Amino acid sequence: MAATLASPVPSTEHEVERCGTEEEIRGAEAEGEGSPPQTGPGPVSACSNNRLSKLPLARIKALMKTDPDVSLASQESVFVIAKATELFVEMIAKDAMVYAQQRKRKTLQRKDLDNAIEAIDEFAFLEGTLD
Amino acid sequence: MAERPEDLNLPNAVITRIIKEALPDGVNVSKEARRAISQAASVFVLYATSCANNFAMKAKRKTLNAGDVMAAMEEMEFERFLEPLKEALEVYKKGQKGKKEVSEQKRKDKEKKQDSENDRSREEEEEEEEERMEEEPEAEEDEAEN
Repeated sequence: MAATLASPVPSTEHEVERCGTEEEIRGAEAEGEGSPPQTGPGPVSACSNNRLSKLPLARIKALMKTDPDVSLASQESVFVIAKATELFVEMIAKDAMVYAQQRKRKTLQRKDLDNAIEAIDEFAFLEGTLD
Repeated sequence: MAERPEDLNLPNAVITRIIKEALPDGVNVSKEARRAISQAASVFVLYATSCANNFAMKAKRKTLNAGDVMAAMEEMEFERFLEPLKEALEVYKKGQKGKKEVSEQKRKDKEKKQDSENDRSREEEEEEEEERMEEEPEAEEDEAEN
């Protein structure tokens, strides 16, 4: 491993190359698929640029590809969707929390989510989609 | 191994972290709520992708690009996301550019090294050197741990 001596570049470098390329990557599960579900924040964000995106791009891309109409997605588009999803999670958590607080609860519960989805227009697309 | 939408979930640990960072301290999230949010996030990805893909198809492109995703956000009434997304994308693009240059540099260095390794008499010497060099960092690591 002479590379660790010589180069100043952090080792996440080659991990990015593995998961973030332009064209379709059928087997791009290198990122997080093989590892146990709760590996913690470290390896999951290893593939992101300076922790820009918390969600693993390879997983987002795999999700996107389940859509039969989608052929190719640029690396940037995958990143933007990942980032947007992060913002979405923040938003829905905060909006649902309002309902918990109204009932003087400190624990966010499933029904708070349901309330938020019903009340807020932007979440209409979620109706009927959750278990 | 075909991936079905139902099989693909976003990592629980990450979803939990995003939720916790969004909410005030002292707030808890039930397991069911967490699971529902994770599911919602997957649905969001699919919906956004489909929407963005429509824009790409309208423009007769086969490749989804960042602009398509931005247009999708507006269509989905998530305009509030546009500014932070644009900023994040700028940073991301710069980072990608840097990594590209670094990997090209690495490739050049590798080619240079291969050229010199083609000289047989030097090859053996370098192998010995590499072994020696490999030993050193390990020694340093041991010290660091102590």
